[in-house]
Amino acid sequence: FRFKDSLAEDLQSADLVISHAGAGSCLETLEKGKPLIVVINDKLMDNHQLELAKQLHRDGCVLYCNCSTLVETLQSMDLSALKPFPPGQPEKFASFLDKVFGLQ
Amino acid sequence: TGGHTTEILRLLSCLSESYSPRHYVLADSDKMSEAKIRSFEQKRAETFSKSQFSLDRIPRSREVRQPWISSVLTTLYSILYSLPLTYKRKPDLILCNGPGTCVPVCLSAFLLGLLRIKRTIIVYVESICRVETLSLSGKILYYFSDYFIVQWPDLKKKYRKSVYLGRIV
Repeated sequence: FRFKDSLAEDLQSADLVISHAGAGSCLETLEKGKPLIVVINDKLMDNHQLELAKQLHRDGCVLYCNCSTLVETLQSMDLSALKPFPPGQPEKFASFLDKVFGLQ
Repeated sequence: TGGHTTEILRLLSCLSESYSPRHYVLADSDKMSEAKIRSFEQKRAETFSKSQFSLDRIPRSREVRQPWISSVLTTLYSILYSLPLTYKRKPDLILCNGPGTCVPVCLSAFLLGLLRIKRTIIVYVESICRVETLSLSGKILYYFSDYFIVQWPDLKKKYRKSVYLGRIV
């Protein structure tokens, strides 16, 4: 399919996700606790998309490759080595704003 | 737009009803955000009965990869367009996270502050996608915001005046 409103269902039933480095795709997948391989397309990529993918890789949360090394990655991957991705904490933001406005 | 909207709704998720009414400003070309916002506000109204919000649209200030000179002109036009809106709403707080739409709104509020018409607190939260470099909106609003929040430590090191709270979305 080309476009769906929400990938939540597909993500929930997947055992492994292979995706481009879009932030939404990466974060949604990681938040569902699914193993993720991020494929970088050197030719099409916008530099800033790479920043998040690189960081997630540094943190050990995703595997990382490009189109030509995908097969090799799939053959040699060790998904158990992937670390869990802790969720963000919007409550810290709420707390910060409350302090700014003296609402605590 | 898309990712920005999802992020900002997450930022709003833990705010109390003191932060009400909420006025959302969207680019006129944005087709998907309105549905997300309405859905968020609907859920919110289930918990907080007096919850209020509104939606306004402004012309998009810049298309992706639009050349510099025409960007300055379209942004100026958007600032002029935003002025009556900001003047009408006179917000106590503007919260934004990076889409081009936010620059003219913030600058118009900043201007109203300089003119002593309304002092608005501008809080900018850079997107979680920005680990090492700031977006263009971020680079501009770093100088005009009261609080500039980044979500990765590298950015905190590069931008001393920024606030680092860890990942908040």
